[in-house]
Amino acid sequence: MAIEYQKGNAFLHRLDARTKLLLFVGMTVLAIVVVDPILMGLIFAGLYYVGAHSVDRKLLNSNLRILIVIFLTFSLFQIIFFTSKDSHFLFYLIPFKNWIPVTVQGLVRGAAVFFRFFSVVLAVHLMLYTTPPVDLALTITKREQSRGLSAELTSTLILGLILFVIAHLTKVEEIQALSSDVRIRTLIVLVASFVLAYVIQKIIGHGLPPEMGMALTLGFATVGLLSKQTEIITDAQKARGYDVKPKNLIRRVQVLTALLLPIFLATLERSQDISVAILSRGFDYNIAERTYRRQLKFQTTDYIVLTLIVLLLFAGMYLNYLNLGNPTEQFILSLLNNSA
Amino acid sequence: MEYDVEFHGVSFRYAGAQKDALSKIDLKIPTGEIVLVTGPAGSGKTTFCSCINGLVPHYHEGELSGEVIVRSYHTRRARIGGLASLVGMVFQDPESQLVTSSVADEVAFGPENLGVPRAEINQRVSQALSSTRLLGFEDREPHNLSGGEQQACAIAATYAMHPEVYVMDEPLANLDPAGRRQVLQVLIDVAKGRQKTLIIVEHSLEEVLPLVNRVLVMDSGQIVRDGTVDEVLAAGDIPRVFTRPAIVRLADKFGLDLKTFSAEKLYADLNARKPLGKISPDEDKPPQRSANASMPIIEIRDVHYSYKNQTSALRGVSLTVHAGELVAILGRNGSGKTTLARHIIGLLQPERGKVSVAGRDVASTPTHELTQEIGFCFQNPNHQLVAFNVRDEMTFGLKAHNIDASEFDQRVQRALELVDLLDVAEAEIFDLGKGQKQRLALASVLTLEPKILIIDEPTTGQDPEMTREIFDILKHLNQLGTTVLMITHRVDYAAAYASRAVVLNQGQIAFDGPILELISNMEIMQANSLDLPDITKLALQLHKHGVPPWTIQYEKLEGYLTQLVDGSHGD
Repeated sequence: MAIEYQKGNAFLHRLDARTKLLLFVGMTVLAIVVVDPILMGLIFAGLYYVGAHSVDRKLLNSNLRILIVIFLTFSLFQIIFFTSKDSHFLFYLIPFKNWIPVTVQGLVRGAAVFFRFFSVVLAVHLMLYTTPPVDLALTITKREQSRGLSAELTSTLILGLILFVIAHLTKVEEIQALSSDVRIRTLIVLVASFVLAYVIQKIIGHGLPPEMGMALTLGFATVGLLSKQTEIITDAQKARGYDVKPKNLIRRVQVLTALLLPIFLATLERSQDISVAILSRGFDYNIAERTYRRQLKFQTTDYIVLTLIVLLLFAGMYLNYLNLGNPTEQFILSLLNNSA
Repeated sequence: MEYDVEFHGVSFRYAGAQKDALSKIDLKIPTGEIVLVTGPAGSGKTTFCSCINGLVPHYHEGELSGEVIVRSYHTRRARIGGLASLVGMVFQDPESQLVTSSVADEVAFGPENLGVPRAEINQRVSQALSSTRLLGFEDREPHNLSGGEQQACAIAATYAMHPEVYVMDEPLANLDPAGRRQVLQVLIDVAKGRQKTLIIVEHSLEEVLPLVNRVLVMDSGQIVRDGTVDEVLAAGDIPRVFTRPAIVRLADKFGLDLKTFSAEKLYADLNARKPLGKISPDEDKPPQRSANASMPIIEIRDVHYSYKNQTSALRGVSLTVHAGELVAILGRNGSGKTTLARHIIGLLQPERGKVSVAGRDVASTPTHELTQEIGFCFQNPNHQLVAFNVRDEMTFGLKAHNIDASEFDQRVQRALELVDLLDVAEAEIFDLGKGQKQRLALASVLTLEPKILIIDEPTTGQDPEMTREIFDILKHLNQLGTTVLMITHRVDYAAAYASRAVVLNQGQIAFDGPILELISNMEIMQANSLDLPDITKLALQLHKHGVPPWTIQYEKLEGYLTQLVDGSHGD
């Protein structure tokens, strides 16, 4: 089943489209930072809990179920290939030939990989289920000529501070190599963070040109229409005496090609219709000065969700910084060492 | 006087075309005028409209000579976007012009393009929606609306841009009678309410003539008649180009005011001049329900069907069609006509009940096998054409049914002859006009020589000439022995051609019997928003003078009226 926008007014639906986009980006980064299966499992469970309360649980499950096998394969690869020298050996997957050793680290990381992939995919699903495609297209479209100095400064400041903290949590040795003086070190990192933040917010703030944004919006609106059209055309062909589901494989390919032509024609016709329709309604009036009815506005919940993501990121990085990023693995290893 | 639109010696020829689409048009339309443009298909009406909003020459390429001036802007120099702020255009097919995913977005799209501030956009959206009676539809998806609602939405979208000139290119063509009335009312409200110029292209003169100030008749790219409604009507008919409504023709014949548009007014005026007498036409018997002797070929027994998440589309429909019948299936949009037709060919299977065709149970026979008996034509020919040229299209069905190739030529020839398309036998499909495509779709179905033909709204968006051609073909096929079921909302044509009518209402059969009995039954006609043909309306008025109320032919009614008028003279 296609991942389509599901109408609703649940918690996730009410979030700003930009928040959900950032939630997805945040989950991706988290999945890279967090390597522990239990921590990642908890994050996954939390996200799933929110998601299941916002969209139809059956629909969500049926779409995720298909992916389980794929991600289990990824885990298996991790188990098979993660065999660094100092890892704790358990057994061989193919015993008598002594092929493919399985280690504690491999198992733990394999389990983590499963949840890491799953969290990212779940975040994408939830974003697409709860956000009208038009809003998503708008979030990445440049909509205002200038955003105003205060908006730019605020976003640079927040992003800069986040980068500053991240730098201290992840690049400890590099920072220490910069200078012996703590104050100069801090100053350099701070300036670098802000410059980087400024550049990033400039790039993001730039967005897609409005022409492309509108093209995306119009494209999304056409998807439903085209699938309806495909259905109509298939029916028409059946009624023309065409066996649309023949048992013969070669015939089946022929049937598909016969279906492609009218669909192609319908699409071509549709694109011409659209260009005439939008031109007649002033699309090229002055696209740079175009206004938008839909307004994206951050609510308190948006700020809370965003802060939560940032805090989770910090926490994950801080654990890594303290060398506690992998508590499950360490715990199992210590158990094994004690018993040995 | 101030003019909104001026044409000075305008000619246009599309790139690659052999002759001019418009030639030497000179015209001035003053502010606030409501103008009807009419004429046969291909006479240049759409090109004329496209000149006003700049699609010609900026989008459609070709040679343009002369000057089109819209409110002092020369369209050749202005951009389409600029002209769009002055000229609001609505096209024939509502679905093709809706581009966004919600009604509110759709209406906001134009004002957004014009850079209208957000607060005002919202205000304009709600104003436009209330003017077009679409309040409450804001979040609906445009392609899930009914035809009438879609067209109203397209009009709202134009209205919200506050143009100076409205140009409507056959805005009623794809709508059922109820939808047509709704949209026409919306149009007139919008134009009159704002005192704006309205140019409306339309074939159905009966409905539009009473509302306009001026009429333009076009033929082969030229304006062949231009004047006030009175002037144009007084000048009479032009064969194949301009036929006045039946009531107007009768008014003309009996020397009444030409602006007589309703049967009631015609009757009142006639009677006021000299009270009408009474006639007793003896040869005209009321329609009889007679037992049909031929074999039943389609049997539908107590069929129920409902679409996903929707109310039931068919609720216990039983119907028997005998071989050789010509049946019109009538009813308003969404009454289950198409759903019923789809059951006959197995595209849908009943939840309950049974359908059998020529002795075969539809439930156990795959659709592609049923098509050996049944030809099925869809409403939009584009949906069923599968090839690039006419020959491939015609042989498609033959190949699918493994017909011997030696028979191809003969069968194709015969089918093309039936629909009068032999002259385009070697043409590419892209080069065919809409009417030709419709007939080609029919011809391709006929190659299989079906015993039964089911045709869904064959006359959508066709001019009166083409409509008559299609009905003539169906009648001819029927005379050759084909059983024909036609879904249509043209009651006037159906009554003239078919013998039996089946009316569906909310998934149930509301009427099944002789079509002449149906049209003289006001109650059922009104309950199903079926439009009584003007001729029959007048016949009903004249019933008390002895005119049979099931009269449908113009000539017949004209004869009765002559008798009545002469009779009253003689007394």
